[in-house]
Amino acid sequence: MVDAPLVETIRSLLGLGDGPLMTFIAAFLGAFLVGNVMLAQAGVAGPWAKRKITAAFTDRIAVNRIGPFGLLIIPAAAVQLLAKELIIPDNVDRPAYDLAPLVLAASALLGFAVIPMGSGIHLADPETGLVYVFAVASLASIGLLMGGYASANKYSFLGGLRAVAQNIAYEIPLVVTAASVVIFAGTLQMSEIVAAQQATLFTIAGVDIPSWYAFVNPFAFVLFMVANLAEVGRNPFDTPEAPTEIVAGYMTEYSSVYFVLFYMGEFIHIFLGAAIVTTLFLGGPAGPGPAYLGIVWFLAKIWAIFLFTQWCRSALPRVRIDQLIEIGWKGLLVLSFANLVLTAIIVGVLV
Amino acid sequence: MSTQKEPDEESETEAVVSAEGVDYDALEEMLGDSVLGRETHLNAEGFVVRADAVQDALSTLKEEAGLDHLSCVSAEEYEDRYESIYHLKQYDDPTNEVSVVVPTSRRDPTSQTATPVFKGADWHEREAYDLVGVDYEGHPDLRRILLPETWQGHPLSKDYNQTKPQIVTLAENKNPLEEHKSAEDSDTMFLNIGPHHPATHGVLHLETVLDGEQVADVEPDIGYLHRCEEQMAQNGNYRYQIMPYPDRWDYASAGLLNEWAYARTAEDLADIEVPEYAQVIRTMSAELCRIAAHMLALGTFCLDIYGDFTAIFMYAMQDRENIQNILEDLTGQRMMFNYFRLGGVVWDLPEPREEFFGSIRDFLDGLPERLDEYHDLITSNEIFQIRCVDTGYLDPEVAKDYGVTGPVARASGIDYDLRRDDPYGYYDELDWDVVTEDGGDNYARLLVRMREVEQSARIIEQCVDLLEDWPEDERNIQSNVPRTLKPEADTETYRAVEGAKGELGIYIRSDGTEQPGRFKIRSPCFCNLAPLDEMSNGELIADLVATLGSLDVILGEVDR
Repeated sequence: MVDAPLVETIRSLLGLGDGPLMTFIAAFLGAFLVGNVMLAQAGVAGPWAKRKITAAFTDRIAVNRIGPFGLLIIPAAAVQLLAKELIIPDNVDRPAYDLAPLVLAASALLGFAVIPMGSGIHLADPETGLVYVFAVASLASIGLLMGGYASANKYSFLGGLRAVAQNIAYEIPLVVTAASVVIFAGTLQMSEIVAAQQATLFTIAGVDIPSWYAFVNPFAFVLFMVANLAEVGRNPFDTPEAPTEIVAGYMTEYSSVYFVLFYMGEFIHIFLGAAIVTTLFLGGPAGPGPAYLGIVWFLAKIWAIFLFTQWCRSALPRVRIDQLIEIGWKGLLVLSFANLVLTAIIVGVLV
Repeated sequence: MSTQKEPDEESETEAVVSAEGVDYDALEEMLGDSVLGRETHLNAEGFVVRADAVQDALSTLKEEAGLDHLSCVSAEEYEDRYESIYHLKQYDDPTNEVSVVVPTSRRDPTSQTATPVFKGADWHEREAYDLVGVDYEGHPDLRRILLPETWQGHPLSKDYNQTKPQIVTLAENKNPLEEHKSAEDSDTMFLNIGPHHPATHGVLHLETVLDGEQVADVEPDIGYLHRCEEQMAQNGNYRYQIMPYPDRWDYASAGLLNEWAYARTAEDLADIEVPEYAQVIRTMSAELCRIAAHMLALGTFCLDIYGDFTAIFMYAMQDRENIQNILEDLTGQRMMFNYFRLGGVVWDLPEPREEFFGSIRDFLDGLPERLDEYHDLITSNEIFQIRCVDTGYLDPEVAKDYGVTGPVARASGIDYDLRRDDPYGYYDELDWDVVTEDGGDNYARLLVRMREVEQSARIIEQCVDLLEDWPEDERNIQSNVPRTLKPEADTETYRAVEGAKGELGIYIRSDGTEQPGRFKIRSPCFCNLAPLDEMSNGELIADLVATLGSLDVILGEVDR
C-alpha cells in the first residue's frame, strides 16, 4: 500500500518514528479525524442544512429560533434525539436488529478512507481504491436488509426488500459506468484518477476547462448521477423509505440512538456518493487557486451534489417500485453497458 | 318542487322518468303489487314497499325507470315500526327523485337488502343496522360499520340508553396484531394500513391483503372519527343550534358548502325564502371554500405521490391560506365558519367593502399563474404521469352503482353536478361550466379538481361584480324567519347540494317540535370511499395510496 499523505503528516507532526505500530497509530488518528469530520458534516446536514434547503424550495423559513441562522438547532437536536427512550420491540431479531444501524453508518464512513479530499487529506491510497469504495459502500444494503428483516414489522420488511431490490438494480449500472472512467484513466487508484483529470481539455475565452470526466464524457456523468440517486435512496428513487406508503420502511421500528445512526448513516452515504462522483467526474479536490485550498473545493463539490439530491427531493415525484426496477434493469443497465463499450472503442482507437 | 310534474297521459311507459319530471302514477303501476301505499315527501313522492319486495321494486326503478342513483338510505325507528327509506335519483337529471319507503315491524325489523341492485347500498345498510338496528336479509356482510363490533345496542333506536357510557377496550375489540388467517397456507400477507399511517389522511384503517406488493384485497374500516353528528343535530333546534355542526363534517375548508346543505334542507322544510343578495354572498363564499378544499386535496394527493413535505404541498397550502384569510374577513373564522343562517347569512360583507373585494380580486388575479405553476410542477411531470395515468381506474358504471358523486364521478365521465342539475343559490344565473374528464384514473381526478378551481374562480368573479354593484338599499342579508321553527309533524325531505367532495345531502323528518325527529347525513366521502377495493385491486401498494389520496376523503365526513 502506498502511504497516504495524511498518515505521513500526522507521523511527522507528532514525531512518531517508523515501524508498523507507529504507522498504525498515525493511521488510526487520521481515520478518527476524517471520520469525525464526516460525522460533523452529516450533523450539520441533517438537522439544519436539509431543513434550510427544503424550506428555501418550499417558500418557508425553517429553523431560525436558536442561535444565529438557527444553527444551535444542531446541538439541540442531538440532545433531543439521544435523550429519547430506546424502544426495542418484543419480537425483534437481535443482534441483527442492533447491528443494522452500525453496519449502515460504518459502511458509509469506511468509504471515505480512500477518497482524496485535497490539502493532503487522504487516508489511504491503495491501487484498488475504486473497487474498495464500491465494495464497502454496498455493504449498506446488508444493513438495510438486516434492519428491515429483524424489526418484525411488515412495513420494515417491505422497506428492506425494496432497498435490496433497488440497490442491486442500481449498483451494477453504477459500477459499470465507473468502469468507463477506469478505461479513460487506466487505473483504479483514486489519486491517479484525480491526477488524470488535471490536464486542460480545451480553452474557452482564456478559461482553461480541465479534462474532468464530467466534461470528457457527460453521458457517463449523467448516468452515474442518476444511479447514485437510487443508490442513496433519494427522490425519485426513495421507495425503500416511501413515507406515505410504507411509513418509514426499514427504519420504522428504530428510535433514539439507533434512529440517529440510521439517519446519520443515510446522510454520510449521500456524502460518500457525492465524494465518489467528485473524485470520478469532477476532478476531486482540483480547482483554481493554490493546492492547499483543495479541501475547500472538495467540500464545495460534495455539498453541491448534496444540494442536487435535496432539489430532487423537493421537486420530483417518487416512482413506483416496479417502475424503479424497470428503469434500473431495462434502462440504466443497457445504457451503462453501451457507454462502457463506446468508451472502450473510443479509447482503443484514439489512444 | 318543480320536478313533481303532473302525470303525462300520452307517454306512459316510454318516459315515466323524463326531463319533464317523474310520472309517479305510472311508476306505481309499474311497481305493481309490491307497493302498499304512497307518501308525499317534500322532495319527491315515496312508495311504501313491502319488506320482502325491496329488490324487485328497486331493480324495476333502476332498470326500467332509469333511476340509477341510490343517493342515500335513511332508517328510523318509530313507535310502531322501523322504516328504511331509499332515496333514488337519476344521474342524468337529479331532480327526478323517488323515495322507496320500506316499513318493518318493531318485533322483527327485517327487510330485504338492496345490495344486489345497488352496490352502494352495502355500506348504507350496514350503517342503518349499526345505528338504528334494522336487519337486512340477504345482505352479504351485515356488520357494524361505524361503531366497534362489541358495541351494545343501536344508538339511534328508541330503547337505547344514551346516558350509559360504553368503553370498548383494545382487548375487547378486534386485535389488530392478530395473525391473518390465510397467512399460514398462502403467499399473501395481511397488512394493517392505518388507523395511524401517513397516507390515510386521518384515522382510516385499511385492512389490506398483499400478494407481494400487489393488493389482493382491501377493506376500509371506518368509524374512528364517529362523533354522533346526526344525534347531536337531532338534539339541537333548527333555528340556531344545528348550523355549527356541518362545519365539522368536512372540516378541511369546506365548511360553508356543508352549511349550505343544512340551510337548503331546513329552508325547504320550513318554507323559508332567501334574499337574492344573500344567495350571491352564499354562492361566492361557498366557491371560495371549494377552491380551498380542492387546494388541500391537490396538496395532499401530491404528498402521497411525492413523499415528504414537498414544494407542491406547501404551495397549495399557501393558496388555501389566502382563501382562509378572505373567509376570515368575511365570517370571523378560519375553518368553523358558522356563517350561514336559515334565510340568509349572519352578517353583511366586511367594511371597508372595497378592501374586501380587492383582496378577493388580488387572489383571483394571481390564480391563473399559480395554476400554470401547478401544471408545470405536477401534471406535466413525466414521472407523475406514469404514476397516475391508468392507475386507480373507476369505471363509470361501477361509480354509478356505488353512488359516487363529485369530482370523483366527474373524472369518470359522469356529467353530474348538482349546482347545474338541481340548481340552488345563484348558480343558474351565472356563467360557468361543469368539468368532466373521461380518464377515470388518478390523473383525471386531479385534473378535474384543478379545472374546477378555474370554474369556481369564474363564479366568484361574477359574484364579486354583482356584489359591487348591488343597490345599497337592497342589501338584505336575511329574510324574516321566526325565532322558533316548528315544521309540521311528519314532514320529510331530502335535499342535497354539491359539496367539495360530491353530493352532500340531508334527510330531515320533523316531529312537530323545534328539533328534527330524524336527521340523516348523506356524506359524499362515505359513498366515494366504498369502491376503493374495486379501484385498487390488483395494483401495487403505492397505487392504493395514490388512489386513496385521489378520492380525497375527509374522515370527519365519512364517520360523521
